[in-house]
Amino acid sequence: MTVFKAYLKVLNKNKWMVILYTVILIFFAGFNMKTSDTRGFVTEKPDILIVNEDENIGITKHFINYIKENSNIKEIKEDENARNDALFYRDVNYIIYIPKNFRIDFLEGKNPEIKVKSTGDYMAFLSEMLVERYFKIANIYKSIETNEEKLEMLIENTLQKETEVEMTSKLDTDTLTKAAYFYNFANYSILAGSVFVICFIISSFKEEKVRKRTIVSSHNYRKYNRELLLSNSLFAFTLWLFYVLLSFILVGKAMLTSHGIVMILNSFVFSFTSLTLAFFIGNLISNKEAISGIVNVIALGSSFLCGAFVPMEFLPDFVITISHILPSYYYISNNEMVKTLEIISLESLQPFFINIGMMLLFSLLFIVLTNIVTKRKSS
Amino acid sequence: MFLHNLKYSLKTLFKNKTLIFWTFAFPLILGTLFQMAFQDIEKNETLDTISIAIVEEKENNIKNIFEELEIEDKKMFSIFYGNEEEAKEKLEQSEISGYLILSDTPKIIVKENGINQTILKYVVGEIIETEEIMNNMITYEISQNGVLTNEFYQTLYENIKKIELENKIEIKDISSRNLSYTLIEFYTLIAMTALYGGILGLYLINQNLANQSSNGKRIAVSPASKRTIIISSALAGYIVQLIGIALLFLYTIFALHINYGEHFFFILLLTLIGCLAGLSMGIMIASIFKINENTKTGIVIAFTMLSCFLSGMMGITMKYIVDKNIPILNIINPANMITDGLYSLYYYETLDRYYFNIISLIIFSCFMLALSMQSLRRQKYDSI
Amino acid sequence: MKNIIEVKKLTKMYKNLKAVDNLSFEVKEGEILGLLGPNGSGKSTTMNCMLSLLEFKEGTITIFGKEMKPNAYDIKKEIGVVFQDVALFEELTVYDNMDYFCGLYIKDKRTRKQYIEDAIKLVGLEDFKKFYPKQLSGGLLRRLNIACGIAHKPKIVFLDEPTVAVDPQSRNNILDGIEKLRENGATIIYTTHYMEEVEILCDRVIILDKGIIIAEGTPDELKELANMEEKVSVYIEKLEEKHIEEIKKLKNVSEVTYHNSNLIVIYNKGKNNLISLTKYLEKERISYDKIYSERPTLNDVFLELTGKELRD
Repeated sequence: MTVFKAYLKVLNKNKWMVILYTVILIFFAGFNMKTSDTRGFVTEKPDILIVNEDENIGITKHFINYIKENSNIKEIKEDENARNDALFYRDVNYIIYIPKNFRIDFLEGKNPEIKVKSTGDYMAFLSEMLVERYFKIANIYKSIETNEEKLEMLIENTLQKETEVEMTSKLDTDTLTKAAYFYNFANYSILAGSVFVICFIISSFKEEKVRKRTIVSSHNYRKYNRELLLSNSLFAFTLWLFYVLLSFILVGKAMLTSHGIVMILNSFVFSFTSLTLAFFIGNLISNKEAISGIVNVIALGSSFLCGAFVPMEFLPDFVITISHILPSYYYISNNEMVKTLEIISLESLQPFFINIGMMLLFSLLFIVLTNIVTKRKSS
Repeated sequence: MFLHNLKYSLKTLFKNKTLIFWTFAFPLILGTLFQMAFQDIEKNETLDTISIAIVEEKENNIKNIFEELEIEDKKMFSIFYGNEEEAKEKLEQSEISGYLILSDTPKIIVKENGINQTILKYVVGEIIETEEIMNNMITYEISQNGVLTNEFYQTLYENIKKIELENKIEIKDISSRNLSYTLIEFYTLIAMTALYGGILGLYLINQNLANQSSNGKRIAVSPASKRTIIISSALAGYIVQLIGIALLFLYTIFALHINYGEHFFFILLLTLIGCLAGLSMGIMIASIFKINENTKTGIVIAFTMLSCFLSGMMGITMKYIVDKNIPILNIINPANMITDGLYSLYYYETLDRYYFNIISLIIFSCFMLALSMQSLRRQKYDSI
Repeated sequence: MKNIIEVKKLTKMYKNLKAVDNLSFEVKEGEILGLLGPNGSGKSTTMNCMLSLLEFKEGTITIFGKEMKPNAYDIKKEIGVVFQDVALFEELTVYDNMDYFCGLYIKDKRTRKQYIEDAIKLVGLEDFKKFYPKQLSGGLLRRLNIACGIAHKPKIVFLDEPTVAVDPQSRNNILDGIEKLRENGATIIYTTHYMEEVEILCDRVIILDKGIIIAEGTPDELKELANMEEKVSVYIEKLEEKHIEEIKKLKNVSEVTYHNSNLIVIYNKGKNNLISLTKYLEKERISYDKIYSERPTLNDVFLELTGKELRD
């Protein structure tokens, strides 16, 4: 109990670090996890800004309505700088400038020019398809129909032709993506938070004065070490439990499905691996000032390279290859895999268990290394 | 005295591993991570060839059009032809984005929502629309002439093509070519390095003040002029800061191949002033708070991280959201002054916004120094 | 001997608390002045006021006949200070630390080098020049701390509790060093709450409590002032009653007891009491063993004056 009490005291001093990493987790996860509860096929909608200098009537109005139906129309302050910023930060993918007298010029066959600004990504490509398609149809019908209203009718009817799309997956991909996002990001919080605190506590306890006092005390040294180990495990476990609870709040019921439970299991194993890593680092490094730097590098490095921040599919191949040497890779791979798994069964989870095995192997490695380090130091 | 103090201040800073880690090594490590994580993200934004399968149950014109699309220069689709079983298998393995069943009405089968699936739908839709257009044209021809000549039917397709080509609405792209937003990450990195430099100033000034450290007391009872000591210490901090920034530039340009654009002089000017802002912030924190030195360093690091977060370090959209919704927060945020200055230099053609940020940084530095002045000039204290 | 420092009517307030109250004293050239007092008695505050680090409400401080001010650089040049806390740069070696601090006083590089070598020798750190402070033990750090304060050969040295938490070996080394400084002609102001050090080192002692001088003088004078008894105890196998009566009649004796072969003689004051007793015993051919005398210490003086123990 003495050790545990002292432990809580040191922990209390470090509470701000834990709170900081947790707040970052909530902030990032909560911020990036906007969901729409949809089942079945929906088209992707680009974000488009229309700057209309023409009168909002006739064919111009019809065109704008068509764009509105097929995209998310953005309202941006009427200021060119604000529009440019919006484009740069991908708040809009495409800006359409409709010039003055566009409607008249178009109807008179003057082929007016439309200016656009584009982010050049696939959403911008979709936007361009929309614009081109509309005017292609409009131009063709203009050759046979001069009445503006009838022209609009013709265009309308043609554009309404829908292709049937069937979606095979019945998975609630949106919510599962959200859950995977949360647990991927938790990679950073678990590593930064728990490893930092545990390292700090181990080195505090190791500090010369404390050590002398504890050896002198009647407490058996081995028992003392065991209590420290137990306290640290308890801390790691509590932190993990807290993050799981947080995922229930942020993600919701989906965490109770078999998919969710598998993800929770995954994070439990990863927390254990982090604990062993923390023990290794804590016993290796005796300089308190160095801890913050080392933990930051490990946590940020693992998170960036293994896809906690930037999705794995966007990472270059060589980075993925490198990330195989980090336990985070196996943890995040599992989240990504579970997210798309159609059926959860022992058979389909085979690769999942291989990754779990890898994490456990890492833990074993860290435990062995810790033992080597402590033996070297004591001799 | 000036040189003596400068020499030893430099020596002290270079020997302090914690300071050197945060101001020299950490930005380089972070930069490497940025580069590794972000180098492909923009490439992923542009379209890859979409893999699909076509299952032809009945002969259909659509197949021919897709075949044409496949051999175009900018190849949009790579197509597998086969029966439904095979297509289904490929979809399950995620080898294709979706497949198209051609019968009386074409049908698209996909596994999940996504951009490729949307494009596939759009393309099929366009083909169906073209058919609809042709039908409408024929109806029109019949209503006009009463009969449908063979000649009309034959030229219809070509006529449509002709209209498409000749009466085309010109779409002119006027956006800036500088749209690489991952560069913002590196701008925030420069901002972070400049502000982290504050801990150098903080450390040295802390050592100079009698009410902050025992070394300060020792200096205060010596016949050295306080002003000389402080100015020379601040200069030492600035020099080390500049070396750190130079390392960052050299590393990101030559090892990571970051292209900062043409206005390198302006970038440098902004960075130099940014370093000054970081330094003066460190001096302010050193001189007006009477707390443990590690806590002070913690304050500088936490403040820098928060400013960088708001200016887009952990996701560039953050900067945009703050700029758009709480602009005042970023106007007074020194990390954003640096990031925004570099961004406007890169993206905008005029320099107004750049100069605004330069002036903001100068005002920020002056404000910080003004806050510190009273404490720095003080020779005697109420208590030590 | 002329006065080198004069403190007149010094009063220092910390908010509403009077830390130093109307204090006046002077320091004579070449002496070691001990400022003695418990924690919070105003020793360090007085010193910091003298060094112009602290603002004070009233009073004047003159050094070398001139008023002491923060920019009185010509005075500061001749002063060396060793503060209570170790003031060193962790990042610099022993030699570099000394060079830095000494360089604040001595511009000429060659002189500086010689001075630093002297100081290193004085505190016995010859073997540690290339070491970093982290690699030194507590005692060695203290020695380095002193060396940094006195390397420029100042005429006046302020030492603020330089031996707190120091092992006996380093302590002796430090005390020897201070002796040597005096031999070289320095005037030393020494604050401490170790009584033995004051008794060994100081020519004159000022005892402070609650910011007021409660006693001043040489260590012996102070002991006299306390008017305390001397107790001598002797082991004597056998002693006759008549001898006891005769001992009672010896000079200054106030009380005699004999019990279990132990003779205890209490004197009310005076000198050479022990000698007169032994002379008497030899004259009467009484064999004795284990004789010792308990004279008052400054600690007793302090206890007598303030009613409390000096050490905390």
